[in-house]
Amino acid sequence: MATDSAPGDELGRSRALRFQQLKGQLFEVGLVAATLVGIVSLLVLFAYISNDAFQPGAASPVWFLTYFGTLVGPTAAFTLYARRRPAVRTANATAFAAVFGGLLLSVVTYAVVDALSPYDVFLYVVFASLPPGLVLAYDRTTDDWAYTGPAIPVSILVGIGLAVLLDGPISGPLGIAAEWIMYFGLTTVPAGLLIGWLTAARRGRRAGGVAGGVVAGGGLAVAVASIAVGVAASLPVVLFSAFVVPTGYVIARSFRTNPEGRVGLAGPFVIIGGTLLGAAVVGQFGIDNPDTFLTPTLLLESWDGLTASNAGVYPQIVGSIIIVGFMAVLAFPVGIGAAVYLEEYAPDTGWGGRLATVLEVNISNLAGVPSVVYGLLGLALFRRTLGFGTGVVVSAAGTLGLLILPIVIVSTQEALRSVPDDLRQGSYGMGASRWQTLREVVLPEAIPGTLTGTILALARAIGETAPLVIIAVATTTYSPPSGLFSSATALSLQVFAAAANAKPEFRHGVVPAAAVVLLVLMLLMNATAIVIRNKYGREN
Amino acid sequence: MSNEPESRVGSLQRSGFVVRKERLYGRLIAACAVLTILITVGIILALSGRALSFWSQISPIAFFTGTSWSPVIANDYGVLPLVSGTLIVTVFSALIALPIGLAAAIYLSEYASDTARSILKPALEILAGVPTVIYGYMALVYVTPLIDGFLPFSVQLIPAGMPILPEFTLVMPSLGTFNALSASIVVGIMIIPMVSSISEDALSAVPDSLRQGAYGLGSTKFDVSTKVVVPSATSGIVASYVLALSRAIGETMAVTMAMGMSPQLPYFPNVLRNLAESGQTITAAMVQIAGADSYGSGPTYEAMFALGLTLFAITLTMNILAEAVRRRFREEY
Repeated sequence: MATDSAPGDELGRSRALRFQQLKGQLFEVGLVAATLVGIVSLLVLFAYISNDAFQPGAASPVWFLTYFGTLVGPTAAFTLYARRRPAVRTANATAFAAVFGGLLLSVVTYAVVDALSPYDVFLYVVFASLPPGLVLAYDRTTDDWAYTGPAIPVSILVGIGLAVLLDGPISGPLGIAAEWIMYFGLTTVPAGLLIGWLTAARRGRRAGGVAGGVVAGGGLAVAVASIAVGVAASLPVVLFSAFVVPTGYVIARSFRTNPEGRVGLAGPFVIIGGTLLGAAVVGQFGIDNPDTFLTPTLLLESWDGLTASNAGVYPQIVGSIIIVGFMAVLAFPVGIGAAVYLEEYAPDTGWGGRLATVLEVNISNLAGVPSVVYGLLGLALFRRTLGFGTGVVVSAAGTLGLLILPIVIVSTQEALRSVPDDLRQGSYGMGASRWQTLREVVLPEAIPGTLTGTILALARAIGETAPLVIIAVATTTYSPPSGLFSSATALSLQVFAAAANAKPEFRHGVVPAAAVVLLVLMLLMNATAIVIRNKYGREN
Repeated sequence: MSNEPESRVGSLQRSGFVVRKERLYGRLIAACAVLTILITVGIILALSGRALSFWSQISPIAFFTGTSWSPVIANDYGVLPLVSGTLIVTVFSALIALPIGLAAAIYLSEYASDTARSILKPALEILAGVPTVIYGYMALVYVTPLIDGFLPFSVQLIPAGMPILPEFTLVMPSLGTFNALSASIVVGIMIIPMVSSISEDALSAVPDSLRQGAYGLGSTKFDVSTKVVVPSATSGIVASYVLALSRAIGETMAVTMAMGMSPQLPYFPNVLRNLAESGQTITAAMVQIAGADSYGSGPTYEAMFALGLTLFAITLTMNILAEAVRRRFREEY
């Protein structure tokens, strides 16, 4: 026995080997520490920021106990329950996306439309959507109408042109109508059409018509009810059409298609109910709240550089959203087009191939250009050459659009590259042209990857500050931008400007709270991108 | 750009209009791609026009060799103090980010389980995703006081009474409100993912046969990682370093907010003093000029474009260098 294991023992006990082992272990520990040190220091800094923003120290222990009992406890129990049941987990994820996505959609829609004036938005949306609608309707009546594709963008442009021309004469009479009717047209009608279309696809035309009618009737009922109660009807109408209807549809559908996971649908309501219950208990018994700076005032009022309790960043939030939204409209078509050219159209050899190589190198260099330099480009292009006013939405959106273009292109390229070539060949084999293959086969496959990359680009853009400083966007405005050529401001700029304010209630209160809002916006976008990637990325 | 396969197949049934339509779409898409070249051309034109106008008033020699930057008060346009500020931040953030980023890359590529990687990689990416204005705020309000608690300290490097060498004590003074140290730390944190993700790609690209071969010769995991995998991926790692440095040079908001606006040349030999005091980087000087609208279109305003062109030239050179290193020294397996 002893002789058998002797060589092994010798090897095991050899001092050099033990030293080797120790060295390896220490190295691994060092690597783990290095990987974590950045993440941990950022978490510590986040903890500082949230401590200043929420001031939990001011809350009584009972406050924590209350919310632990109503919110944390039930949520943890629910999560534990859902963890080992895949059906429940799926339903829970769906319900979360539907409830919070719908809520966010309706609030953002209302804030943006409200800032830009509902009458103008309504006018432009109607004029931009009716002509392509007519083209599509005509397309249905005839076979193989080759003009449909080019006719749609042209008709949209014609519609917008008409809207610009007729803005004066129409907006007068339009202004007589109540505001909520505009919101009804902007949100309830599309919601009704969407639900009707989805229902019609599965249950036939008649059911679709009924579903659409129910949505429209519901919207009207909500409006009438809120007018009867004496509340402005606009926000309720938007909430009904962009939150209640889509969320209800998704949840009802999940309820039917995923019977084992029905319990999971309660997930978001456990959180919402827990928060409301906690608030009710805290209010009822007069328990000390945290002295938070993240108040409704901060979210809904405009800036006040003197009194911290009056300072709000509503114009900044809406400004950031409008700038980034318009930037997306400008940059995404161009970015996706450039990526499609490089991946699907560009030849490998000859002049075209050389051009493609130059384009690739150029794009990777553009991605490395510092953002201040893009600010200078924006300054020269939009202010000097095109003569736009100082710090208007178009300039800011255009500058940021140039900045994120390389990111959009690279991520779209990756998404297109991951589409298997068999699909393209199959499509060509069926007689489809290159464009048809692209539109019907390649782009739909590449959508999740493209979305992930572009949302990450949006998240980058919403935090960008330096180019906005360079093109002289105002740090503080007291109302959200009212149009594309009106001056705007962004949340990141307000954080930059207010950081210099030495008053403790700003430095350790309002500014961290504004930073938390900015971080939440950015993390929400990142989380959306990761969710999309995880949901669709694994299937290939 | 040949459309031959389609037109040949298409001639069976497609009308001339459809072919023309396809060609139009192809051209529109190509135009989108060509637009990216126009952006580069636009940057160069926008910067050089005003920069040249600036250099016709202030000689480039005075600009690139001047040791005082005081555009408004003294009409001094020497860029060296700004370059020194940029270098200080770049060097100290590199001291943080390069080793940490490489270690993280080795861990993720060689050691981490799939679960650990799927959590740690997105977490590291967040470091680069946090808006730099928030990094600047955190450096100014939280990092500076936190570190200042441990200061000042001094280390006597060369004791008195040594032959030839003079007595020398390295002193780290207390931090000012604005200081290069906090700026360097946050810039270092934000460029970690740049190093780690590109290096990790390079490390994962090393073929497994090299690892298996080394194990077969009796190497430990430590030896395989440090003596086989890392040397094989050197080109990718160097490229990631250069890109990260380029990012640190172009970083703007964090250094503007945390490091202040007082340009100065570096202190020697007591290098730590550079960290404790305020300074100004090239980017911060640009922000300062842009922030003061009243400068209008005088030389100060145009100096912003000259600084921008300098910055663009530096970062472009570094990016091209990184790409060249990656291509030239890429090991073919």
